[in-house]
Amino acid sequence: MNLTIFLLALFDGIAYAALVFIVALGLTLIFGVMRILNVAHGSLYAIGAYATVALTGFFLSLGLAPALSFPLMLVAAILVGILLGGPIEWLLLRRIYDKPEVLQLLVTFAVFMILEDVQRLVWGTQPYFEARALQALGNVTVFGVTYTVYQLILLPAVALVLLLGLRFFLRRTILGKLITATTEDREAAQSIGIDADKVFLLTFIVGAALGGLGGALASPTTSILPGMGADMIVLSFAVVATAGLGQIEGAALTALMIGLGRSFAVYVWPEVAVLVPYLIMVLVLLVRPEGLFGSPAARKI
Amino acid sequence: MLELRDVNASIGIIPILRNLDFFIGAGETVALIGRNGAGKTTLLRTIMGFTKITGEIRFDGRPIGAMPPPARPGLGIGYAPEDRRLFSAFTVEENILLPAQAARLSAEETKRRLDRAYRILPELREMAGRPAGNVSGGQGKMVALARALMLGTKLVMLDEPFQGLAPALAQRYAEALRALRDADRSVTLIITESNPALLRGFADRTLVIERGEVAEGALEPETTPA
Repeated sequence: MNLTIFLLALFDGIAYAALVFIVALGLTLIFGVMRILNVAHGSLYAIGAYATVALTGFFLSLGLAPALSFPLMLVAAILVGILLGGPIEWLLLRRIYDKPEVLQLLVTFAVFMILEDVQRLVWGTQPYFEARALQALGNVTVFGVTYTVYQLILLPAVALVLLLGLRFFLRRTILGKLITATTEDREAAQSIGIDADKVFLLTFIVGAALGGLGGALASPTTSILPGMGADMIVLSFAVVATAGLGQIEGAALTALMIGLGRSFAVYVWPEVAVLVPYLIMVLVLLVRPEGLFGSPAARKI
Repeated sequence: MLELRDVNASIGIIPILRNLDFFIGAGETVALIGRNGAGKTTLLRTIMGFTKITGEIRFDGRPIGAMPPPARPGLGIGYAPEDRRLFSAFTVEENILLPAQAARLSAEETKRRLDRAYRILPELREMAGRPAGNVSGGQGKMVALARALMLGTKLVMLDEPFQGLAPALAQRYAEALRALRDADRSVTLIITESNPALLRGFADRTLVIERGEVAEGALEPETTPA
């Protein structure tokens, strides 16, 4: 493997890991706080991507600058969080918190199936491409390897900001502290006056918005087509399970490990590249069933 | 102050408490005595709203039976559960402050109440910055008491506070309770205990709970060993 290929694999891995981490962050936040494994998270990712393409297509066709794509991604993510995440928690999940876990999986899986069809209904089955955000930032050349600024710098920077920002929010702000307390012990939190219902709703909205943001950020780098949500939920679940469910910092390292493992496999042993994330997950879980950073008590599934 | 009329409470479908019917006045210190499994913790959790009930619970004359649990502490109720249940992600002082933050008390009011808690438990000032996961079991009970005091301006409920405390710490804890008593005669205290001897001379009334039923009791049963 020469330097060029090594760097390409490295950059691919970092860019990919950043995206997967952003999606996994929402999944693990929701699990950590609410103990719900949200299978519909994959659909929120896909709808985030579709919504971004739709919004960007509309506003850029009015002659606005491509740089407007970036705030539109944020708008798409927030819309996903509020318009989809809010009702999912409020209308469905709230009824089943004290029911058996398998029911939670079934309900979120049903939401996933419904949302998959809604995507086909609204956007059809033809793939969409919308790469103007990617082009707007141009390229950068590192040791002779040219790569897009969007993937090499913007995506990892956003992932890092989200990781640090979420950590700061949960540990240092009053609202974050109330969420963290609810995560640790729901009844103890309620008995000091914390409204756990509101905490759950807010957490789910934020988690869903992170899923949507992952899709929004992914949209310029990939073709948007049916099934993309299913791929992403499986992959981000692999990251979250390998890290240990609910482990935010762990998910960042695991995403990097899985992203790099996959991208190097593409160059070294392409036949197994798609398998690599799951091989890593299986190997880790064989040795540490609670995940790399998890504690045995925190495991639920 | 606190009134239960014909209350039955269950957890899931299992009935735990039966025919509870009693009144506790403002400023009373009540010892709730009963063996393990008699329903002491369930009674406190019922007052906090964590069980399904029939019958009526009134607090300051106001029915609270249907009020969701997180709304109850705001009425002036502080509760220190048996196993402390501090939040290990935070420091001692952050734990104590959380109820005030959840209730959105003003900065001055929060400070006033924090000072009150520290006056009653001055040793907590020195460990304010320590992670709550790193304090001993006994110290944790003190922190849980301080946390309960932040909103417990009318009623403070302590679930087996002396259990597992070394004698010196138990004595210190009892002193703190006396200081609380002396500082504010209008606060009602409910303290559960399986060993009635520990609350002798402190409580002014005893309720005995047995197999989910509550009756008035005497604090010094004749059979208590010397």
